[in-house]
Amino acid sequence: MNILEIKNVTKKFGDFIAVDNMSLTVAEGEIFGFLGTNGAGKSTTINMIAGLLRANAGEIKILGKNISKHSHFAKKNIGIVPQDIAIYEDLTAYENVKFFAGLYGLRGSQLHERVEEALKFVGLSDKHKSYPKGFSGGMKRRLNIACAIAHRPKLIIMDEPTVGIDPQSRNYILNSVKKLNEMGCTIIYTSHYMEEVEEICSRIAIIDHGKIIAEGTKEQLKAIITNTKDVWIEIKPMETIDLNKIQSISGVKAVQMEENLIKVSSDISVNNLNTIIQCLINDKVEIRSLKEQSPNLETVFLTLTGRSLRDH
Amino acid sequence: MQDVMWLVRHTLKKTFSNKKNILLYFGTPLIGIIISLFVYSGSNEKNVHIGVVNNDPHYITNDTIHFIKGLEHLSVTNIKKSEIDDQITSGKLDCVLVFHQGFSKSVEQGRPGHLQIVSIHGAEITGFVKSYLYHYINNISALGKIANGDERTFWQMYERYQQSPFRTSVHPLKDTSKNIGMTYQTIGYLLMIMLFSAGSLAEMIVREKENRTYFRLLSAPINGNKYILSNIIVNMIVMTGQIMITLVMMDQVFHIKTNIAFWQMAAILMLFSLVAIGIAFITVAFANSSASAGAMQNLIVVPTCMLSGCFWPADIMPTFVQKIANFLPQRWALDALLKLQQGHSFGSLYLNLLIILAFALIFFLVSAYKFGRNNNVNNFV
Repeated sequence: MNILEIKNVTKKFGDFIAVDNMSLTVAEGEIFGFLGTNGAGKSTTINMIAGLLRANAGEIKILGKNISKHSHFAKKNIGIVPQDIAIYEDLTAYENVKFFAGLYGLRGSQLHERVEEALKFVGLSDKHKSYPKGFSGGMKRRLNIACAIAHRPKLIIMDEPTVGIDPQSRNYILNSVKKLNEMGCTIIYTSHYMEEVEEICSRIAIIDHGKIIAEGTKEQLKAIITNTKDVWIEIKPMETIDLNKIQSISGVKAVQMEENLIKVSSDISVNNLNTIIQCLINDKVEIRSLKEQSPNLETVFLTLTGRSLRDH
Repeated sequence: MQDVMWLVRHTLKKTFSNKKNILLYFGTPLIGIIISLFVYSGSNEKNVHIGVVNNDPHYITNDTIHFIKGLEHLSVTNIKKSEIDDQITSGKLDCVLVFHQGFSKSVEQGRPGHLQIVSIHGAEITGFVKSYLYHYINNISALGKIANGDERTFWQMYERYQQSPFRTSVHPLKDTSKNIGMTYQTIGYLLMIMLFSAGSLAEMIVREKENRTYFRLLSAPINGNKYILSNIIVNMIVMTGQIMITLVMMDQVFHIKTNIAFWQMAAILMLFSLVAIGIAFITVAFANSSASAGAMQNLIVVPTCMLSGCFWPADIMPTFVQKIANFLPQRWALDALLKLQQGHSFGSLYLNLLIILAFALIFFLVSAYKFGRNNNVNNFV
């Protein structure tokens, strides 16, 4: 079942079209990557999903229900982790999570349990009586997440949750995202760190000028810009080597040799690495290292939008 | 409604977990009472210090000095003629009575003279001293005229006059103008403090926007109207507390008799609290930061309180200023209280009450319109 359906949604600010007839679906259980440069329409879309902005046209459904007609239902099922940390510095970690969870109707022992659970999940149980003033950037970001998950939303929208934090906290947050997903949450994840999106997202949409310009799995996106992958094989220097044998392997498009490096270009959809290695071993060629090179998400993004995410 | 009350509890807890805010919101209204007490304390009991130079040691002169000493709010000191200038210019004495030689004789003969009053204060001080003194001396000199130079007859009449067998009983009327003035000034300050309190509490909306929590709130199952309603409730709770504390302290602790029924005064002030919230919301709706909201509040509250007579009676201001004051809600609230003190019935004040309500309504509508146009959720996520 689709947890989120966006159908022909348009949002204008005066004459400026921020989101232009966008359609998108996110299935339950996905970690959905949402990529776009600043001003591409990503934040406007997320604001509309969160119920903070109204679309000028089209409809947005959460779990099959239109959010403009069932705003309360939609909001109860969504948790927002904003890019800017939105917590009260003069309330303790516990009080922060308790207050925001209380807005979703939780009370009494159930509220207490959920707050403790959320703080434990983000690794701040031992800091529950501490004020965020004394927290590091990573701890504040984790508290920011705890405030969004205590009411156990089915859909969690995370916007740049790892901006400006140390690698340890970043790793903790990425693992938390995976764990939340394993627990049944659907995640919409935006980040300027392509390697993060590549690591955790099962499906990705790229938005530019208010429109979805590409959507699919990582492999599908990469296939849009190229159908070739390269394998670089470092061998022990030899006098002669028969490259025709490799050339004849299924899927291989071209073979080149420069000093002791063999470059084999193959069709991206064919898995022929084992056959290539076996061929070299049979010819008594000593393999010293091996490197596969296929286009990464950044290359895909650059090719499709013509701009780098970090430039914006 | 449960979610609104959750927000109300949160705002109250967050505000008053800082103990300084308890003092700020509920202690400052008392400053108004203290200031008015200070301003009005002893204003009717000023003592006049009089020096006496007696160069005519005679029983008539001595009795005249004795009479002056017996007057209330006068303190009399005997001095020498050479000390007059020093004592007057240094401010130790307000005036000096110089009884020259021949004063007694002139009074006895029915032609009083040889008496001099020295002062640098003018009629403010000498006026009432002269009045009492003339009255007394005229009586004695009248005896002298009747005696027509017969010393024995004068003495007999003078003796009887001094030992007058009749007594007058005095029932002083209480001066209520002091209490009316104190009430006016205290309530004037309270109105200003209510305006500032409402401004400060409404400013929380801007601060929530600044630290992004406002948008996290709105992404929960809470809409903007509920959030604003919770702020109104918090404002009303705080201002009700301020009103009750001020009125109870005025009556029970400082014993300022307002001449107005408690509930009537509370009702007018509660009505004004709606105006205070309306003004606060306007500043918040038009401000784009908490700093600018604070500056706007200062710009609006202080001048309007001055113009409408919160710090001094409106009557003493020029006519054109009084006309401007008619366009300010504080003026109508103070006017309603003054009318109640003058004995008007609460029902007869419907015009004042309607005008205050209209002000509140206009302010709420303007701020609601402006809030509706503020689509400032950009950059939340």
